[in-house]
Order: sequence, then structure tokens, then C-alpha cells
Amino acid sequence: MTVANDMSFLTLIIGASLPVQLVMCILLITSLFSWWYIFIKVATIKRAETESEEFESKFWSGGDLNKLYEAVTSGRRKPQGMGSIFEAGFKEFVRLKQQAGAEARMEISDVMEGSRRAMRAAYNRELDDLDAHLPFLASVGSVSPYIGLFGTVWGIMNAFRGLSSVAQATLSQVAPGIAEALVATAIGLFAAIPAVIAYNRFASKVDRLSVRYESFMEEFTNILQRKS
Amino acid sequence: MIRKHENSDSWKAGALAIGVHAVLLVGMLVSFNWKAAHPVQNVTEVELWDKLPAPKTLDAPKPEPKPIIEEKPKPKPEPKPIVEEKPKPEEPKVDIELEKKKKEVEQKQKEAEIKKDKELQEKLDQKKKLEELQAQSREETLKDRKVAEKSKKDAIKKLKEDSLSEEKGNEDKQASVANASLIGEYTEKIKAKIRGNVNKALCSDGNPQLIFEISVLPTGQLSGTPKITKSSGSDACDEAVERAIIASEPLPLPEDASLKSQFKNLKLKFRPND
Repeated sequence: MTVANDMSFLTLIIGASLPVQLVMCILLITSLFSWWYIFIKVATIKRAETESEEFESKFWSGGDLNKLYEAVTSGRRKPQGMGSIFEAGFKEFVRLKQQAGAEARMEISDVMEGSRRAMRAAYNRELDDLDAHLPFLASVGSVSPYIGLFGTVWGIMNAFRGLSSVAQATLSQVAPGIAEALVATAIGLFAAIPAVIAYNRFASKVDRLSVRYESFMEEFTNILQRKS
Repeated sequence: MIRKHENSDSWKAGALAIGVHAVLLVGMLVSFNWKAAHPVQNVTEVELWDKLPAPKTLDAPKPEPKPIIEEKPKPKPEPKPIVEEKPKPEEPKVDIELEKKKKEVEQKQKEAEIKKDKELQEKLDQKKKLEELQAQSREETLKDRKVAEKSKKDAIKKLKEDSLSEEKGNEDKQASVANASLIGEYTEKIKAKIRGNVNKALCSDGNPQLIFEISVLPTGQLSGTPKITKSSGSDACDEAVERAIIASEPLPLPEDASLKSQFKNLKLKFRPND
């Protein structure tokens, strides 16, 4: 075992044994991905929040529902968040109502039920989008410390094995090996901590958004029932 | 991997993620530029290296013993001159650089040795008696200067050895004199460092003397626990000194690797209440 005089961060990484380097590499890639997803989620969740706020203020301003529907669907891109729930529910409601008027054997409760189902489906799609990548962040947060620990244990095992061939053991013979090995844990923690924080934050934000969507669905159902 | 609605953000997010990692890497590189303290393994290598040049480097200190001899007749001011001479052991370093002038130095050495021989022969008759008397009287009068006294004794012993073994070759003698002064100096330093750590309140009754045997590694660390060869009579005092020895790590050692081995078995006398 050679003792590195220079203990800069790079030499620690380069001097580590192959399994430890592999672990570091895996952790670095995981960390890159988790940060990528974190930034994506920050952007998408923020957009979903502002959109639902805008839509709510438009919806409760008391305009005509048909006009609102046209405004929502006329946009170039597909409506998202609350807009898509409103679009699905209102479209279904209008279609069923026309059918009910034509056939006359359809009850109002069936119309309400249909539009409610359509809204539920749109709501589930929205939630699925909001929840995307959260399981990845959760598993990075829980697993990457263990991967780092594995690298550290491996490195320390090597450091001590090198020590066994020396007659007089001193701390400075093990210290570089242990320092190298501990870099793996450091990288693992660096990957895990932001992932856990981001996961908790995003999970609570998604929960709040879903509650908002659900209460909007209930209120909109009431409005449709009054209209029919 | 990513949803359709996330496409617009993916590039920005990817750039940000890479940016975060770059910032972290730079931070690590800046803040983690540790320099390891000189690894111990190098010390063992140096030990082999220094054995040959050692006599040469120790040529110059030869004149040093003379001031010690000349100053000895005056008992009380003595400790100070010896203390002042501490810087001199650093001269060998200068001499290493001046190895080209070795020949001149050697000539001077021979002259100095001849002078020294004469002086020593003259002085030996007078001084052996004087020194022995002085040593006895000093032990009584200079107990508070024990640190200096020890080095003085070493120097005297070395001088005697010098005069007796002069025929055996000059270089060894010179080296041993210089080494002795260095060893004496560092023994003092070790004692002074330990003394600062002794809890004197535990050794309050009387003026007990303790003798410890310690073994110092080339790093200045202790090898094993210090052995007490003469107890003060009070367990608390013994333990206080032992703790002080352990707390004094790393102990000061000379730069010269060949001298470090001299500290493998070191006897230290303590009078904590001095």
C-alpha cells in the first residue's frame, strides 16, 4: 500500500480501488439524475400550482361556463391541471345532456354520474403526472447511503488488509485508505439528502394539489347539477 | 424517462443539475486540499540514508564542547551558557550545504583536535577533580536546575569518554559528543514539555523524585505505556506524572533520524515540585 503524500480530493478518488470507484461512479450518475428530476419537478409543480390558481380565479369570477370551456379548449396546448378536469367533465356533461334530451329515457343522475366519471379519469391522469419521478427520488434517498456505505466498507477492508503486512502499524498507514473509502459515503449522502428533502417537499405539494383538484370536482359537480 | 409535458423543462433542469454538481466539485477541490503530515514510512527510509553522512554533518559541532569545558569552573552561571548553546546543533544543516568546504573543515578539525588534546590533557587532571567536586556540590545546590544539570553531566561524561578513547578515531568521538549534546537538549525539551502537563497539586507533600522509562517512536509518539522505575511513594503523584507523559505526545525529537533511535529507551527523572 502506498501512502499518498498529497491528499487532495482528486487523488483520493483516483487512488481508490476499482469497486470503490465503481460505487462512486454509480452514485454520481444517480445524483445527477435525481437533481435533474428535482429541477424538472420544481418547474412542473410550480406551473401546476399557478395554472390551477389562475383557473380557479377565472372559474369563480362567475362567467358563462360555455365561454370558459371555449377559452380552455381553444388554447394551443392541451389543458392541464384543473383545466383538463373541467374540460373533461363539461364535455361529458354536454354530450350526455344532448343525448338525454334526444332519447328522453336518461335520468339526470346518469348524466351527473357520467360527467363525474370523466372528471375522475382526468383527475387520475393529472395526479399520475404530478407523481411522476417521486418514487425514483424516494429510492435514491433511501438506497444511495447504503451504496456509499458499501463502497466505504470495501475500501476500509482493503486498507486494513494492507496494514496486515506491516510490522508496526501506525495510523498514517491506514488513514489514506480510510479517507479514500469515506469519499464514497460522502457522495452517497450528497445524493441522498437532497433526494429525501425534495421527495418530502414534492409529496406534500402534490397532496395539497390533489386536495384542491378534488374539492374543485365536488364543487363543479354541484354547479352542473344545478344547471341541469 | 420523462413525461411529454416535462420536455420543455428537461434541458434547463439538466443544465441546472450539472451546474449543482460542478459547484460542489469545485467546493470540494478548494476546501479539501489537505496536506498529509509527513508520513511515518518516509522516516524509516531516511534512517538508512543518514547513517553514512552522519559523521560528516557532525564534524563542525566539535568546537562546541570546548565552551562547555571552559565554562564549567563557574558553577552557577553554567546552566545559561548551555541553554544558549542550543541553537548550535542546527549548524550541521548549514554544514551539509557546505560539504564542498569539507576539506578545509577537516584541516581545522585536525588543528582543533590537537589543541583539544592538549587542553583536555591539561584540563583533565584539574577538571576531573574539579568536576567531580562540582558535580557533587551542584547536585546539592542546583537541584532547581536539574534540566540543565542533566545535559551538563552528559557533556562531562562525553568529554571523559573523549579523552579516554581519543585514539580510537576522532570522528566517532565528535559525533558522540554532538549527539550527546543533542540528545541532552531534546531530553530537556521532553522533560520541559511533560513538566508543563503535570498536575503539581497531586505531588504536594515533600519533594519526591520519580524515574520513568519511556520508549519514543520516531514520530514522537510513545510506544507502550511509560514504566515507572522509581516511585514517588504516592500513587496519585505517579499517575499524575504518567498522565502528563501521555498528554505530552508528540514528544519533541531531533530532526536527525539516526538520533531518533536513541530515544527508544529513555530514562526520565522528575521532581515535580521543583
